[in-house]
Amino acid sequence: MNRINKRTRWLYFLAVLFVVTAIALFITMDVNANKWVVKEYNQHLYSGGTMIGEGKLTDRNGNLLVETVGRKRVYNSNAMVRKATLHVVGDAEGFISTGAQTAFKSQLTGYNLFNGLYHIHKDNRYNLQLTIDNRLSVAALQAMGSHKGTVGVYNYETGEILCAVSCPTYDIENKPNFNPNDPNWSGVYMNRFFSGSYTPGSTFKVITTECALENVPNILEQSFYCPGYYRTTSGGTVKCNGVHGNESFTSGLNHSCNTQFAQIAATELTNDEMDATADEFGFNKSVDVNGIKCKPSYCDFSHAYTLDRAWGGIGQYTTMVNPMHEATIMGAIANRSGSTPKPTLIKKFINLGNLDYIKADNARTLDDLLRSNVTNYYTDAKFPNLQMAGKTGTAQISNGLPHTWFAGYSQRSDLPLVIVVILEKSGGFGLTDAIPVANRVMQEALSLYV
Amino acid sequence: MNGPKWIPALIIITVFQLISFAQVIFTEAGTNIMALVVLTIFMILEWVYAIVSTAVLKTNSPALEFLAFFLTGISLAIVTTRGSNTLLTQFIAVIIGFVLFLLMLRMIANVDRAEKFRYPMAGIGIALLVFGLIFAKNTNGAYNWVQFGGFSFQPSELVKIAFIFVGAATLEKIQTTKNIRNYALFAVVCVALLFLMRDLGTALIFFFTFVILAFMRSGDSRTILFSILAAAMAAVLVVLVKKNYVMNRFATYRHIWETPYGSGMQQTRVLTYSVSGGFLGMGIGQGKLRNIFAATEDLVFGVVCEEWGLIIGFLVAMSYVIIFIHSMRNAKGSRSAFYSIASCAAGALLLFQASLNIFGVTDFLPLTGVTLPFVSKGGSSTVSCWGLLAFIKAADNRTWEGGRS
Repeated sequence: MNRINKRTRWLYFLAVLFVVTAIALFITMDVNANKWVVKEYNQHLYSGGTMIGEGKLTDRNGNLLVETVGRKRVYNSNAMVRKATLHVVGDAEGFISTGAQTAFKSQLTGYNLFNGLYHIHKDNRYNLQLTIDNRLSVAALQAMGSHKGTVGVYNYETGEILCAVSCPTYDIENKPNFNPNDPNWSGVYMNRFFSGSYTPGSTFKVITTECALENVPNILEQSFYCPGYYRTTSGGTVKCNGVHGNESFTSGLNHSCNTQFAQIAATELTNDEMDATADEFGFNKSVDVNGIKCKPSYCDFSHAYTLDRAWGGIGQYTTMVNPMHEATIMGAIANRSGSTPKPTLIKKFINLGNLDYIKADNARTLDDLLRSNVTNYYTDAKFPNLQMAGKTGTAQISNGLPHTWFAGYSQRSDLPLVIVVILEKSGGFGLTDAIPVANRVMQEALSLYV
Repeated sequence: MNGPKWIPALIIITVFQLISFAQVIFTEAGTNIMALVVLTIFMILEWVYAIVSTAVLKTNSPALEFLAFFLTGISLAIVTTRGSNTLLTQFIAVIIGFVLFLLMLRMIANVDRAEKFRYPMAGIGIALLVFGLIFAKNTNGAYNWVQFGGFSFQPSELVKIAFIFVGAATLEKIQTTKNIRNYALFAVVCVALLFLMRDLGTALIFFFTFVILAFMRSGDSRTILFSILAAAMAAVLVVLVKKNYVMNRFATYRHIWETPYGSGMQQTRVLTYSVSGGFLGMGIGQGKLRNIFAATEDLVFGVVCEEWGLIIGFLVAMSYVIIFIHSMRNAKGSRSAFYSIASCAAGALLLFQASLNIFGVTDFLPLTGVTLPFVSKGGSSTVSCWGLLAFIKAADNRTWEGGRS
């Protein structure tokens, strides 16, 4: 009997094995619950392949974006609204992965591990109000005309995203029969504001300026000479967009002088300093929008030669910038604190904390410098009544006409909005192409909110 | 007098059952009178048994039976929603199983007498399997159901009882090569017959139980290793001969999400609907998994998770561990090696079968299509579970004190 008793002890191992496996099973269930529950065969949520478990999505003013009527998802009745909000609202089939209907499935189905889908059985659906504005989105889509690219507006006091228009787009109620591989439709399912990544061109001079403010004493008091190009000691050349002659630092920034910024980057800054500033500004990290992971901006000078750094100083190296991220950079400067609220698309989720980028002193200096770009060069006439600050960019790319940028914001306390405009291969300059689009959208915002 | 200790436990079970049963008795379609009667009788029987066994027979500690009552209550609530006939059939199975439980306790009360039954039991076991093999009709790929007059049953379920009985009785004798050899032969015949019936899950259960029995008797890890090795080789042979039938089952394992409308259908539905209920469940009868084939049999664990919630689902899983621990604790102080061995083997069998079921339908193990003890719908399976429980109860010395004095 004693021996048998001893042997039973070994059997306890089986009990432990079972308990451990059972715990692993329930942990696996808990971890994957959100993913498993939204499978299209789940009859609590779907009826004949149509999602009926999601509630209504509305814009910031309570206007309809999409809702479940009977057994169908029904979108806003205005085709322009549908096209302008397509990428934010997304589709029921899940092609647009950052669309709210897909990315916020768990909020819209109301699924939570505790109560499961009990409320849907009781016919209580979860509605969600987004921060976007249908009217501002339509204005942005109209302002973009036939250009591909993106326009995003972001409130630098609250973090709300008021519009994130991405082109090409389509009307979801009359989906065209396109081939996604057709270059005219390339990236049609991608929300470029969240998932795009562009060569920054001269908009990167803001980062170079910050790096110089950090590392070069009295950079603002220095003066430069621009003969129309910058030549490194080893003979490499960076061409300038003009011959600016003698200029102050501020004047060089206002005119977006390549010579000045290439020279600063090449001779007064190091690779490590450039990378440190980029990291400080949140490069190489994804901006999170209620769980939507934006494509991280990319910056790495660690293997740059002097000429690379010269090009890098004017945003023409390997650096790539995500539009949403650019908006937060502008927000941190607009706030004059170096910090900006985390962006949000869901109305009830504001005050999610801050993205802390740079020192307040530098942010104030950059704010003044970006304002001087408008007052001294672009002119306030381009932005009537807006008190705009910002930076243009004309980004040379290897395979086509340049992308044109404008990243800026209104300094008006009653209009705390950042706007980022990117027009792909538009062919002109930031000043000629992107600024008029930015102005049209900001004028609409002014009339809507002030 | 430590009798009252069981009262809070049974009150908790009764409250749980009142809540569960109320949901299936009082529905939007009206009051289900039949269910009201049957389920009330069931709850009264629980209390009558608890009072009689503690106060009258003084075989106290009915904790083991309470676990079975808990699981049976869930089973009855689920079958109630499948119609009155289904409920009645299942309830009768529970009664037959419970009577078998009491009868077996009497039958094995005298160890010496019980051991004389070992050869007849072995004969009956093999005869049942052969009978099944000849008369069974192909049900979902396996030949394990026999139609007999108006009702059908699974011979292999009942043979589980004979298998443990014969094993414990044979091995309890002083260890001789002959005893071990005879039992090994019996085991091989059983497992082989089950393979021929294509009942892979039950064959695995029998083999596992054999390993436990052999280990309890010999304590020799080399014997165990040898038998596992032999079984592995036999399994390879079977796979080679019956390649398609075995391989199809394993091809899906760990790939269920690739074929959610094909061979991964059952497991994906179990997982999706299990989490759909959350911790608290959708409510009994409100689940969607019940629309899937074999929901109340093989997939019943998913129905419990979806309708009662993940917390109760976890408690159900833990019930089998507690039954198993009971079986080992009872074995430790038991007055005869026969009881010890039978108790551990029965506890291990129930735990192993629960593992194959719970982890099979959730893709932690390959799906083998075995039932969840006490919870799955099915007469033979229910009766068999109660019979196995008798082995565990018998090893508890307290079961006999009252009766003997």
